[in-house]
Amino acid sequence: MSLLGPIPMNVLLYFGAGAALLAVTAYIIKMRRRRFEVPFSALWRRVIDQRDPNSLWKHLKRLLSLLFILLILAIVLFAAAGPMWGVSDHDAKNVVILLDASASMKAKDGDKDGTRTRFDDAKKKAEDLIDSMGGGDTAMVMRMDGQTTPLGRFSSDGPMLKKLVEGVLPTDTPADLHRALGAAADALRDRKNPLIVIISDGAFPADQIAQARWIAPKPGAPEDLASIDLTGMDVRYIPVGSRSDNVGIVAFNVRRYVDNKAAYEVFIEVENFGTEKTERRISLFDGELEIFPDENHPFELAPAGEPGARVRKIYKELPTGATGRLRAQLSVPKGLAPDPFPLDDEAYALLPTRKMMHVLMVMKHEDIPLRAALLTYDNIDPEEATPQEYEADHTTAWKHDAIVFDDWAPAEPPPVNAIYFHPDADKSPVAIKKDLKDPHVTEIDEAHPVMRWIGLSDTHFDESHVFAPDKGKNEQALASMAGDPILVAKRDQGHKYLVFGFSLTGSDIYLRVAFPLLMVNALDWFAGDDADLLTTYATGVRQRVVLDGGANVREAELVAPDGKTKVMTPVVDGLATFYADRVGVWRVAGKLPDGHTLPPIDLAANLANPIESKIAPAKNLVLGGQKLREPEPFAMTRNQELWIYFLIAAVALLSIEWITYHRRITV
Amino acid sequence: MALLRPRRVERGPRRAATPAARDPRVADRSALFDDRFLKTLEHLHMVSRKVFAGNLRAERRTRKVGGGIEFADHRTYSRGDDFRYIDWNLYGRIDKLLLRLFEEEEDLHIYIMVDCSDSMAIGTPPKMHYAMKVAAALTYIGLANLDRVAIIPFGDKLLGRLPPARGKNRIHRVFEFLRTCEIGGKTELAECAKTFVTQNKRRGMVVVISDFYDPDGFEQGINTLRYNKFEPFVLQVYDLREADPELHGDLALVDCETGDTREVTVSRSLLEAYKREHAKYCEELEAFCTKRALPFFRTHTALPFEELILRIFRSGGFLR
Repeated sequence: MSLLGPIPMNVLLYFGAGAALLAVTAYIIKMRRRRFEVPFSALWRRVIDQRDPNSLWKHLKRLLSLLFILLILAIVLFAAAGPMWGVSDHDAKNVVILLDASASMKAKDGDKDGTRTRFDDAKKKAEDLIDSMGGGDTAMVMRMDGQTTPLGRFSSDGPMLKKLVEGVLPTDTPADLHRALGAAADALRDRKNPLIVIISDGAFPADQIAQARWIAPKPGAPEDLASIDLTGMDVRYIPVGSRSDNVGIVAFNVRRYVDNKAAYEVFIEVENFGTEKTERRISLFDGELEIFPDENHPFELAPAGEPGARVRKIYKELPTGATGRLRAQLSVPKGLAPDPFPLDDEAYALLPTRKMMHVLMVMKHEDIPLRAALLTYDNIDPEEATPQEYEADHTTAWKHDAIVFDDWAPAEPPPVNAIYFHPDADKSPVAIKKDLKDPHVTEIDEAHPVMRWIGLSDTHFDESHVFAPDKGKNEQALASMAGDPILVAKRDQGHKYLVFGFSLTGSDIYLRVAFPLLMVNALDWFAGDDADLLTTYATGVRQRVVLDGGANVREAELVAPDGKTKVMTPVVDGLATFYADRVGVWRVAGKLPDGHTLPPIDLAANLANPIESKIAPAKNLVLGGQKLREPEPFAMTRNQELWIYFLIAAVALLSIEWITYHRRITV
Repeated sequence: MALLRPRRVERGPRRAATPAARDPRVADRSALFDDRFLKTLEHLHMVSRKVFAGNLRAERRTRKVGGGIEFADHRTYSRGDDFRYIDWNLYGRIDKLLLRLFEEEEDLHIYIMVDCSDSMAIGTPPKMHYAMKVAAALTYIGLANLDRVAIIPFGDKLLGRLPPARGKNRIHRVFEFLRTCEIGGKTELAECAKTFVTQNKRRGMVVVISDFYDPDGFEQGINTLRYNKFEPFVLQVYDLREADPELHGDLALVDCETGDTREVTVSRSLLEAYKREHAKYCEELEAFCTKRALPFFRTHTALPFEELILRIFRSGGFLR
């Protein structure tokens, strides 16, 4: 037996002496009797005198209690000294097992029947590796997917390590080898005989593989911060997987037509990662409804002999369906072998709901350019009203999707989205600072969807209000002259307002091409139909998602595609952090400080990663120009740490002391 | 484990180790004798009338043998005896000079000695309160029967004296005396009995209400009364938790009267031994009284005092 000595011996001795002193003091304190008043102590004296012949044994029993305490203390101290069977093994290794839990590990080629995944195979190999560890070896298990997660500390406890391995589940994210190797190398830094074992199918990006560095840079030489420093590390690779005949969707995009937003077209890109010719049937669903194609339109892939060939398909003029939730599905025709990697056989896309917009124009005088601009697009249905008609019947007016107030403004902003042109100073939804004569637009917020593709620098205005937007009220300047805003966007209680400081009659803007585009942009912004709105994301990539009306939101709830898994994610400046580890449609809902929840946004997450879809396992892995070998068997020294057994013994003795004390045996 | 065991503050039957006089729970006797108590006494008196059917004043007689008219006994003639009382008929038959004795009729004197020592302050309720209630009840019965009743509280000395009186209208004085009399001190029955017999020349019944926890023993005190022609009536009061204490662990047992401290580790077997010892002590007292034909009653404070009084009535020891 030897002592590992995690705590210096002199510290242990000092601690032991102090603890023993404390124990004896406590024992003496314990022996201070509680005073209890009796009416006639002579009776007790008689009883005690009769039992006095046993007093020596009684004293011994009392001493036994103290000895128990001191013995327990000694055992605890000895356990702290780290006792172990055998001698310290200088060849013992410190191992980090990088267990690839990326999407490609879900390939069903763990056995011939296709019931086990290659990840099951990887777990088995990890457990075999743990079983082969010697008594002096310690290991840490890390899960490697889009993130790297250490599953525990370094330990030589085989059953515990195997339990950790058993609990790992693969995700739908690509593996980030760069991050995983960096974490493993950091964990092993300053440890003896460091060893990293990668259990994977080798589906890593080439740039990550090339970033490994085995030799430390020369002193003074600039250090490549992107490289992974593996100096002094022994890195080994255990390959898993067998099949390569996968066909998967690598791209799935949907876009609307600019001139007809009630229809859209779909772009699908499918790649055959196998080496033989095969066929797949592709289906497109809107919700649960299969919309394209039918049985008469099989989808044939590239012939064998051209591995990696991609087939691109565009489906045009598809009508907007009921749900706007599109799903592409690859299926295997009868008679062919089942696809070993179903994860990339599905892809999702979301289409913002599009409908005919009813817009009310409230005008003091007939405004033909405004009406013409709104009639430019098919899905806008303009109506007209005078201010008197508007005042007479608010209710009907408020049933419109949007209202345009031209050179007039109501006393109170309507509870619908609205555009104001040159509102009265006392009725403007945005505070007016002053008026400007003959202004020129010098700054435009091009990032805002309303101002996309808009230029106003050569537009002439007779005069304009200058607004004082308040960011606390969600007011944002879109166009300004030398810092004086003349066009402001505002969000208030779920409604959006666009306030122009100038009137259409006092400007030549309606003669510009930008004007109808500006109106359409504004109405699209009202509808939440941002042409650049990205609703399809790749798994395993941390994204920032705009939350509509999320200025005061500090966190949001993410609901996974299964509808059950819910996590909270931080929101900063109206942007929610979104990390998808599952393929499917996610839902994110901002939580307001008062407990209310914003309307949820759906986000589609797809694998869309050809490296992960290319499931053909790499038999060899060349990292930084060095081919990785499989690990040799560990030295089979059976060093066994004993501290836990001593601790159990201490607890057992403690229990005995407790019982004997309460049973009045050791008193 | 003993080191980790939380220290608990054990409460004994009494709250603090202070003499009875300083224990407010014991010293406060203002609520002992209320109207309800008086009604109970009246009820007990009614019961006693049924038990004892006499209707004359001073109809209860002492055992004193003297010049009465009712024959009581014979005794051997000794020089100086009055010839008139020689039983000549017996002399003719058995040829021995025997003197005829007659019961002497006189008022019965009842002395009620109440133990007010510190040991009587223990218990819930305190034994002293219980003893005082019993004393008040017996006094009431005695006063109502026109006996002369005196109350003498005692501890290590006689702590006062309510002079003999009769007539139940004196009961309120009795209550007042018991409420205000001095309490506390050790139990020294022998010394108190000695003082008592020197102070009281009229013989009579002496009801001793005590726990008899006297370090010097109870025998000498009772014998002193007997030898001086008093008729001891022994009434032992104890608290149930004295007989069966709920103690465990390491304790320093402090005698509430002497302050004598004894360190002891109370185990189950020790508790059993103590219980046996307590029972043995009580039996010793009972055996002592029984052997000497002295009326003896033992009671615990959980027994309602009126029930005890009825038991005394039924036994006939007090009512004659």
